[in-house]
Amino acid sequence: MSLSFSTASSARFGPRTGTAKMLRAGTSICINTPGLMVGTSRGVIQHLGRDQHARAPLRWITVPFESFLENSPPTPTLQLGFNPLHTFLGFNPNQHLLALTLRDPSDANETPSNGNDYISASTSRGIKKITPTQWRIYVHASAPDVVVSLPDIPWTPPPFSQKRITKSIERTATWLANLLAPAPQPLNILVHMAGGISDPARRAFTDSLTETLHGREAEAVHPHKCIDDGVTGYVFDMVPLRMAMDASPDEARDDQEETVTLVKASLMSAQPTKLRVVNSAASPHEILCLIRDVGIDMFDAKWAQDAAQFGVALDFVFPVPNAVTKGKQRDLGHNLYRTQYAHDFSPFSDSVPNCPCGACAPVAPQTVISHSAVDAHAPPAAIAPPCTRAYLHHLLQTHEMSAHSMLVMHNLAVVDAFFASVRGVLERGEDFSAHVNRFAAEYDETLAVMDEGRIMWKEVDIARGKGRLARERAAAEVED
Amino acid sequence: MAKFEILARCSTTRARVSRLTLAHGATMLPTFMPVATQGAIKGLTSQQVESLGITLILNNTYHLNLRPGTAVLVEAGGAHKFQGFRKRALSFESPFTGEPTMLTPEESISIQHAIGADIIMQLDDVVPSLTPDRARVEEAMERSVRWLDRCIAHHNQSGKQDTQNLFAIVQGGLDLELRDRCVTQMIERKDQVAGFAVGGLSGGEEKDVFWRVIDRCTQKLPEDRPRYSMGIGFAEDLLVCVALGIDMADCVFPTRTARFGIALTHHGPLNLRLAKYAKDFGPIDPKCPCPTCTEGTSRAMLNHIITKETTAAQAVTIHNITFQAQLMGGARDAIMNGTFPSYLRSFFANYFGDVGYPEWCINALRSVGIDLLEGSDIKVVPGSGAKWE
Repeated sequence: MSLSFSTASSARFGPRTGTAKMLRAGTSICINTPGLMVGTSRGVIQHLGRDQHARAPLRWITVPFESFLENSPPTPTLQLGFNPLHTFLGFNPNQHLLALTLRDPSDANETPSNGNDYISASTSRGIKKITPTQWRIYVHASAPDVVVSLPDIPWTPPPFSQKRITKSIERTATWLANLLAPAPQPLNILVHMAGGISDPARRAFTDSLTETLHGREAEAVHPHKCIDDGVTGYVFDMVPLRMAMDASPDEARDDQEETVTLVKASLMSAQPTKLRVVNSAASPHEILCLIRDVGIDMFDAKWAQDAAQFGVALDFVFPVPNAVTKGKQRDLGHNLYRTQYAHDFSPFSDSVPNCPCGACAPVAPQTVISHSAVDAHAPPAAIAPPCTRAYLHHLLQTHEMSAHSMLVMHNLAVVDAFFASVRGVLERGEDFSAHVNRFAAEYDETLAVMDEGRIMWKEVDIARGKGRLARERAAAEVED
Repeated sequence: MAKFEILARCSTTRARVSRLTLAHGATMLPTFMPVATQGAIKGLTSQQVESLGITLILNNTYHLNLRPGTAVLVEAGGAHKFQGFRKRALSFESPFTGEPTMLTPEESISIQHAIGADIIMQLDDVVPSLTPDRARVEEAMERSVRWLDRCIAHHNQSGKQDTQNLFAIVQGGLDLELRDRCVTQMIERKDQVAGFAVGGLSGGEEKDVFWRVIDRCTQKLPEDRPRYSMGIGFAEDLLVCVALGIDMADCVFPTRTARFGIALTHHGPLNLRLAKYAKDFGPIDPKCPCPTCTEGTSRAMLNHIITKETTAAQAVTIHNITFQAQLMGGARDAIMNGTFPSYLRSFFANYFGDVGYPEWCINALRSVGIDLLEGSDIKVVPGSGAKWE
């Protein structure tokens, strides 16, 4: 079981294409980069049923483990057979690469401090402490394809002292070394690049990964000469960076540029050809910027999955076609809660022709369950019409869960097409930077459409969601 | 009007297998119809529902009239197109008893025309089944008959009789004499209606009273029209109703209960939220053909996500709808093969063997010639006897 990454680019920074290749007993999964990772919650892609997996662009799936700490031992570690994590969560080992992290990289909630030999994780049954030794046992028992070693990211309110940042980089390196210790089954390890928003701390962390080890330290990570040798790639989590920057406002600083500077600081002395992963980029604008200025290879689509949660059907393309609309910037999608869509019988996207998703291109089921010998055989499969904005608007207004299933399928397909276009532009050697600038000029980066969707989602949720009757009773009591 | 053909009859009970041919295709009866209140089976897309072999679903006129409203449905070309559902759909009226619906019989038919359902229901006056005031129940029954006439007249003027089929709804509460009078009057209108529903039940009445009302109605209703008992969804209720001659039933129970983590099986419902399932790596039912079970979704995984992730509701809904369809499909096969009595015996033994047979089921099935206790040492329990975990 091994994950390799190759890129044609030898430059340390700048846009690049590549291939991440997973080899596992008889199968190989190839993922072209820049590419898409899909996140999970409690082990599932939110709103997407197992029978719908085939209708979404799923290849790299990130699985935060913390919810499983609610049971001891964690349930996936008890699953028998090959590929226990795939089996338990219902992913296909021939198609899906599973990357395990302890915590959800998009979760910005405050969590109690970590210690020298434990990390605090958040579960629905409260905070659970987990040691690097336990993590190692759980990882080997559940056998993911890729694991992110435990990072010491402080989740107490920023800003952080220099002492705290120093601790953070030391613990992150130590916990990585712990995971690297010789084991019967070698792991594919990614490391979170520590150091917060301190440029020197980030450089120092990378230096600690790449310095040659001696004596007992070297024995502990044998046969690697330095801990970086045992690492397949680097992870950059945007949420803690954004929080720390928000806590130390600086008029003169451009946060987007600063993010690029910080990520580059971590990569200054790192091996340039290793896989680079970014979690929780806020928008396609930020993604394009990180591809152009740094050369990031994989991105999650948290923002697009959030858009599906809040009723937004994405509708954008890269590169922007030549006939650019003048004047007002366009939204990246449609907030289908808006009443203007009640009578709109068009498919979700104008910009994305022939969207292949399960909502825009539904296919009749290949097989239909037969319940008795007398049942009439189903007529031959016909092409079903695309799901319309009007129907989705209706499902959203009536608080129907299938609305979000369809939006998840659609939004992931749009983002997947976006990455395919990015790769196309890079492979054809077009002026990538010019395309990025045109994209930034064309589409609204603030994602105002999502903020509006979030408000309208909340309104419907309060009016019709779970616990509605209790809320109504409470409101009536207040009136009395 | 829909074509209704009886293919086989059980030689012991009043159960029968029939084919109901509607504008969107044929459906084999007896069948259970899952409920899509708002135009979607909760959590599922139309493609998912179709893959489960579901050929008839129920939409709610009252809800679809509120949202999205008839204007949108007419623009969309009916509820089938709006939902992307290519099978048969049925629409029915407000279940909100006691609440003024502000609908006239004519308006209700017009809304159902806009919805475009294959089967449409008359507007009826529903009173709670436990209403003690016989005069009120009688008034509601008589009003339902008068409203049937207005619905028939309005439907016949519309020119939609070829594609949409009007069902009458028998009312009369728990009073067998009122039920008799209602059935008699409605049968007089038989040539104008495609089927008969038994309404006003499942309102908390004694099960031993419930089955006697169904029994009285099915004995009198004409052979050559489908019979539909409204709001019936527990497995034992369904099979008893089939034995009494019912062809169709609907209920939110299997879909609603799924969202709370209850999975239906041939050995009774499983409450997947219970800690005992947290380390149970088997599927809900290894013999079940539904995608949730065939893909190997374990009880442990469902325990981890139920009531926390919508995909859990989806997975259990898929299973429960399939369970109901399998139960009724099995009944069709058994009736065709002349083995319905043994199908009933083995269902009840599997389902209630550990806790005991509900007495009302014994009584109901005895009335159609089956004695579950014959050659059995399973005990009998009073009350509804419904199984719960």
